[in-house]
Amino acid sequence: MEEQLEPNEMIVHLGPQHPMQPGPFRLNLRLKGETVVDADIELGFIHKGIEKILENKTYLQGITIVDRICYLVALVNEECFVGCTEKLLGIKPPERSQYIRVILDELTRIQSHLLGMGEFGEFIGFVSMFMYAIREREEVLGLIDMVTGARVTHSYLKFGGVRDDLPDGFKEKALSVFNNLKKSVDDFEEMFHTDRIFRERTVGVGVLTADVAKNLGVSGPVLRATGVPFDIRKNEPYLVYKDLDFKVCTETAGDCFARVQVRINEIRESIYILEQCLDQIPGGPLFPEGTMYGRRTPVMRVPAGEVFHRVEDPRGEMGMYMISDGSDKPYRVKIRGPYYPTLQALPPLIIGTTVADVASISGSMDGCTSEADR
Amino acid sequence: MGEVKEKKASKPDETSEEGIPGVITTTTSAISDLLKKTKVQDLINWGRKNSLWFMTQPMGCCGVEMIAMGCAHYDTDRFGIIPRNSPRQADVMLISGYVTKKYLPALKRLWEQMPSPKWVMCIGDCSISGGPFYESYSTVQNIDEIFPIDVFVPGCPPRPEAMLQGFVELQEKIKAKKDLGSEY
Amino acid sequence: MDVAEILKSLTDAFPEAISEATAESEIRAGSYVDKDKVKKVCQYLKDSLQFDHLCSVCGVDYIKRNELEVVYHIASYNHPVVLTLKARLPRENPEIESIVSVYWNANWYERETYELFGILFKNHPNLKSLVLPEDMLGEWPLRKDYEGFPNKTARNLV
Repeated sequence: MEEQLEPNEMIVHLGPQHPMQPGPFRLNLRLKGETVVDADIELGFIHKGIEKILENKTYLQGITIVDRICYLVALVNEECFVGCTEKLLGIKPPERSQYIRVILDELTRIQSHLLGMGEFGEFIGFVSMFMYAIREREEVLGLIDMVTGARVTHSYLKFGGVRDDLPDGFKEKALSVFNNLKKSVDDFEEMFHTDRIFRERTVGVGVLTADVAKNLGVSGPVLRATGVPFDIRKNEPYLVYKDLDFKVCTETAGDCFARVQVRINEIRESIYILEQCLDQIPGGPLFPEGTMYGRRTPVMRVPAGEVFHRVEDPRGEMGMYMISDGSDKPYRVKIRGPYYPTLQALPPLIIGTTVADVASISGSMDGCTSEADR
Repeated sequence: MGEVKEKKASKPDETSEEGIPGVITTTTSAISDLLKKTKVQDLINWGRKNSLWFMTQPMGCCGVEMIAMGCAHYDTDRFGIIPRNSPRQADVMLISGYVTKKYLPALKRLWEQMPSPKWVMCIGDCSISGGPFYESYSTVQNIDEIFPIDVFVPGCPPRPEAMLQGFVELQEKIKAKKDLGSEY
Repeated sequence: MDVAEILKSLTDAFPEAISEATAESEIRAGSYVDKDKVKKVCQYLKDSLQFDHLCSVCGVDYIKRNELEVVYHIASYNHPVVLTLKARLPRENPEIESIVSVYWNANWYERETYELFGILFKNHPNLKSLVLPEDMLGEWPLRKDYEGFPNKTARNLV
């Protein structure tokens, strides 16, 4: 990359602080005029060493730390960690807790997609999209706040169940928020489809075919926009997803416009799943009967073994590999984030495009650098 | 106002290093006394505190609350606070999150690129003392040994209303002339 | 394809490289693999058994057995089985062949395992540090005998 530069070539560092990035990473571009000839990524500006910290904390303290892997989808990170530990312990939460977890996961998916679309608009200069999306997101965050008590980091899940029950009046407020949200999502879609400048900047830009995407190892909406129907909620269902009726949203074009369209369709599917859950949720206990979970358990020893558990994050496939040696602290936890392979696939995609297209392509991947760095 | 008249006119045989044609130098500190020790400083501070522009730099979990603070529901524009992307156009640097060993040289460079007067505000527990990552091999704790910090906003992450309260405290500090950002 | 057929096909093709192959459930299976044959096994998995998605590559430090292990999780876009392959390495001089030519996205996983554990991947196109600063290379922070953690790295303990 730093070999002999020709007379009209130069190297530009899109450094750690840049308005076009979702978090600090350094993108080195080698430009010839306005065309990108070579690209390189440097990571690690917000590396905290979570995997080493988790080896020194008990499992219950670990739930609070795992929240902070990706701050936008904190409840899904907790779901992965708690799911791993429950498989090692050999317990299963009762039905009511599983429905509450699905409700919170889908609410997280809606607010993450809204923020992703808003930030994509901000990176290419469509700031009014950003403002509208954040306003709708605040309503959904108010719903999550009613249940868990916090907006960003929750510590709400426990082994075998959840911390508290749903409050009174949640169902009516949620249904009224969803009615408004359906109209707003229709407005957004019309805004995207009719704006001429937006279409010229996104249609036909950053095209991925299905074979190239599978080879690069991406997953999530980026893969579903190329036509591959890969969704962990259908491939290996966890919690109560096998009792719910929903479809996997795909498009075939594979460009930036298709990725935004997939996210809008997924918001509509999530609202449909939430209405089913609020209808079907049964009564019952929050923790398994006849066990000690739910009361205070300061020292909890997990039997020795190892497990690999995957969940469907709003950005793709999230996995955790946990090894336990029989004590009250994990021996090794490996966190596999969904944005790590997508960020790795960015340099081959932007070679040959112009600098303005770099903003479109990297914004449509909808990333969170914090989970790539951990 | 009277002492300003003591000025050295540029004599024809004056060959000091500051003998630039058309420039008048004084040896008293009259203008700077006027600006800093009288009521003119209050006027300048009133202007500065009502238009604090911050640099958007989302570094960690508190970064997403910083973005939410600037938008609808918790609007900062009514206080005169707007986000700017470039450090050369900003007044306030918000350290919103943990600082790692790899990021610290870039942060120092951003701080040096900001024109003075400039202020720093620490948001969240991670920049104050380390937060939940206090024992990590890769984070830097105790940032106030490196930067002159005016306001600390605790929380993990603090709510947007708490960050607005932090800005209001900074405004009060500037009004009382006790901040570390401007030279008095 | 179900788990039993997959394991049988794998053990038939590589009888001396694969050992202790077990099926833990309908969608999970694991086995140990010899460290010199990892690349050939991965090529066979990708070509014949439709395992075309690499989930992750990581390292584990077993200090009591004086060994390091490299763990590969390989999945598929077509069927839900996830295969776990483990390779044992000695702790003094750990080296293993890189699989970047088989799975393209193993590049960054191997760089990170190198700088956190010290495992050298031969024939890797670009083996340098990814998440740690340049001057911390050589400390191998995630090994169990990394001195100073947690007491020397924390400053505000009461």
